[in-house]
Amino acid sequence: MIRIENLRMSYRSGGAPVPAIQDVSLDIEPGQFYTLLGPSGCGKTTTLRCVAGLEEPDSGEITVGDKLVFSSNQGAWVPPYRRNIGMVFQSYAIWPHMSVFENVAFPLKNDSTRVPREEMRKRVLDALALVKLDAYADRPAPHLSGGQQQRLALARALVGEPKVLLLDEPLSNLDAKLREEMRVELRELAKRLNVTTLFVTHEQLEALTMSDVVAVMKDGRIIQSGTPAEIYSQPRSAFVAKFIGRSNIIPGRVMDRSQGEALVQTSLGQIRCRDGGTGNEVVLAVRPEDVKIVPTGTPGADNVFEGHVERSLFFGECVESVVRVGDVSLQLRLHPQDAPTGGDVIRFRLPQKRCLALSADS
Amino acid sequence: MTAITIEPPKVRRRFRKSEPLAIAMLACVAVVCLIILALLGVVLWLSVVEGSPGVEAHSYSLNNFAEMLTDHRIANVLVDTLWFSVVSLVVAMAFGLPAAWLAERTNIRGKTLLYTMMTIGMIIPGFAAAMGWLFLMHPRIGLLNVLATRTFGFTSAPFDIATVVGMGWVQGLNLAPLAFIMTAAVFGAMDPSLEEAAQMSRANPLRTMLRVTLPLASPGIMAAAIYIFTIGFAAFDVPVIIGWSNRIFTFSTFLYLLISPQDVLPKYGVAAALSTIVMILAAALSWWYGLMQKRSRRFAVVTGKAYRPKLHKLGWAAYPAWAFLGIFFFLSTILPIVLLAWSSSLPFFQMPSAMAFKLASFNHYRSLPWDLVLTGVSNTVILMILTPTVTLLVSIAFSWAVIRSKIPGRAFFDFIAFLPHAIPSIIFGVGALLVTLYVVQRAIPIYGTIWILLLVFTITRISYATRMTNSGFIQLHTELEESAQMSGASMPRVFRRILVPLLSPTLLYAWLWIALLTFRELTLAAILTSGDNTTLPMVVWGLWQGGGLGQASALAMIMLAAMAPLIALYWMIARRTGLMASS
Repeated sequence: MIRIENLRMSYRSGGAPVPAIQDVSLDIEPGQFYTLLGPSGCGKTTTLRCVAGLEEPDSGEITVGDKLVFSSNQGAWVPPYRRNIGMVFQSYAIWPHMSVFENVAFPLKNDSTRVPREEMRKRVLDALALVKLDAYADRPAPHLSGGQQQRLALARALVGEPKVLLLDEPLSNLDAKLREEMRVELRELAKRLNVTTLFVTHEQLEALTMSDVVAVMKDGRIIQSGTPAEIYSQPRSAFVAKFIGRSNIIPGRVMDRSQGEALVQTSLGQIRCRDGGTGNEVVLAVRPEDVKIVPTGTPGADNVFEGHVERSLFFGECVESVVRVGDVSLQLRLHPQDAPTGGDVIRFRLPQKRCLALSADS
Repeated sequence: MTAITIEPPKVRRRFRKSEPLAIAMLACVAVVCLIILALLGVVLWLSVVEGSPGVEAHSYSLNNFAEMLTDHRIANVLVDTLWFSVVSLVVAMAFGLPAAWLAERTNIRGKTLLYTMMTIGMIIPGFAAAMGWLFLMHPRIGLLNVLATRTFGFTSAPFDIATVVGMGWVQGLNLAPLAFIMTAAVFGAMDPSLEEAAQMSRANPLRTMLRVTLPLASPGIMAAAIYIFTIGFAAFDVPVIIGWSNRIFTFSTFLYLLISPQDVLPKYGVAAALSTIVMILAAALSWWYGLMQKRSRRFAVVTGKAYRPKLHKLGWAAYPAWAFLGIFFFLSTILPIVLLAWSSSLPFFQMPSAMAFKLASFNHYRSLPWDLVLTGVSNTVILMILTPTVTLLVSIAFSWAVIRSKIPGRAFFDFIAFLPHAIPSIIFGVGALLVTLYVVQRAIPIYGTIWILLLVFTITRISYATRMTNSGFIQLHTELEESAQMSGASMPRVFRRILVPLLSPTLLYAWLWIALLTFRELTLAAILTSGDNTTLPMVVWGLWQGGGLGQASALAMIMLAAMAPLIALYWMIARRTGLMASS
């Protein structure tokens, strides 16, 4: 539904051009909920704005539906208002000089999209009902709360029945409770309407819970994309392992590798793990919740180590402990029943299937 | 048993009203408020009193208003003034608005140059521009008219600048940079995503402009329009240079005629009645202005993201755009200055010719009445230093009282400080004249000294200065001061070490701007000078009125040259602080 090929763009601020997107390619299936995830300045919003047509890339190609909207080779350029895309802005961009109804009716009043009065009224009210704002149609738009404005922006983006919906960090201005509700609501709405959605966020939780596909961006490139489960359990780089969820990162050196398994020498000792890297210099990624406590006094085994607890933080549903082994500190996420206290010496196992060796270069 | 003495807790809340500095500032604010009210009060009072001021026996009546209504000149003056202000507004907006849009919303090149041109245009004194235009389009000697009658055989002069429309044209050119600065701020403050959202809603650029950009900008543009209309209404420089000798009066020049006529007794009562009517008009306009400002601020949404507004690509349209800007700069600035220079170098004004170039000399510069000029220079320099300094000190006190203190009635102080903006400054001049001449002359003999100029200059700049210091105070988080207090700093120390340094960019900028306005101030000086306290603009005007057009041009040229380094300094500071704006 959306295809981007070799997209590049740089900003000229004063002197030298600053690259914002460096060779981004992606392909979004119809009806898919596709998320661009990355830290600020990674180029995710710029990519989204290129799809919208609000930025003009330097080179590459963008196809929306069956329409080529940008191509540097063929000199194709479709202005944003002819792309038939709905978009929700981070600031919502609700026009303060119009009522709720007028805001939503606006997309139906262009020369190219004009619809008969009665139909327009019906479609606007339907769109407002979709986001549960039908009772507020006659309010001046600035009189809505933040959450309501957000839903209004959504209704306005959807009223023209676009095939593609762009969401630019739409949840970042909401409070925590509302954000949780809207996460579910947004995804369900997109699925119900079967609209292809490109979503931009820097919140990994939003990306994991809402998406069909997550693409992690860094420095203007997509460094990995896949289903949320893939991204989480099989990161291909230390950056992804650290950015999605949290990971203990232990540098090491491959001693032996075969059939997707590796034996890595680290300052903890030798660790058996899954092999996800190339070269001899690797880092080991282990998630805090995957580290298992074993009773002290049990005989030594593979991947079992001993360390002393530096501190423990109580979170309610779990306890997070920092354990020091030699010069390495590891984070452990434990059930409160198993929780050690500061100063304890504990034994723990790094399950082989849950340890992943990744190339060290990134 | 030892007696345990419990010391009474030394509760001494910081910054209570008992702080000496707080008392001093509140006293200063109160005194300034009283002076403002007194100046206006005496005008209001005089409008309902019969007979001359100073006469013991007086009675109250509405005779002044009756006399005003029967004076057929007054109706003419008001109609002319309205026309004059409307023409100035239209001209100012016709140049300022497109220029602002070009500067803020397009990718036109040379924006620095554009801003520089506007800064220069904003500071060119109205009287200098008016003199230049008179040389160009005077019915008898104006270059264009001589050219037209000689070359094309017109029997009468085709152009006449000495009309209401002609004066409005010159005033409008002079106000266009202000229109530019004010509307550029409106375009700059607009949330770009509002326009992007319209594009994503399938509105083409034209529809985006008509349905979103303009409706959102319109309160801000309207506020700028009201502001400029107010300035046009109160304008003195242009009408006095161009209109005076042709008996065309606008409000300010007519008021001046009433209180200092050449042949009859001054009519203070009628002047006061006319001022009262204008005050009511001014109150209505400033209420409307406030309404528009409030609406405009509501539309200026602050976004989290620092996306700059998408700039329209001009392409080939950049050439006509720059041609438009170039023509404006030529008309508003270059042309009047060239004509002044030409006039200043000739024994009498004439067309450029081989003969004329041979006659050109610096004689007018040499033959200036240098004693008078030097008196003017020293008075002007003193005022240029003192006016901004005193104004800013008073304004800091006002802003502290209005924004930081919790004293009751602080909103009232802000209202009083706003009055000099709303009411034409010449009315304050008249009020000061009456008060100093007839009420306090014995006790405080400041009439005829530069101190009365300092007083009234300060009063009339307080609106502008308090707007600046108010926004400065609002931008500073209170916790910056509170943490200084918690670190043990006394109130004067908090001011000296925290507030003033943090406000210094704003203060420096406002200081320079007020100094520049003081340098070119003619209106109030015309009302309040009498010999020894003359200022440079007054000397220029005096020479002009006395028929010494060449000498007046020469002195105006000297003034412009003296302003150049100040403008450069102002420009640098304005660029650095990102401030740029209105009187």
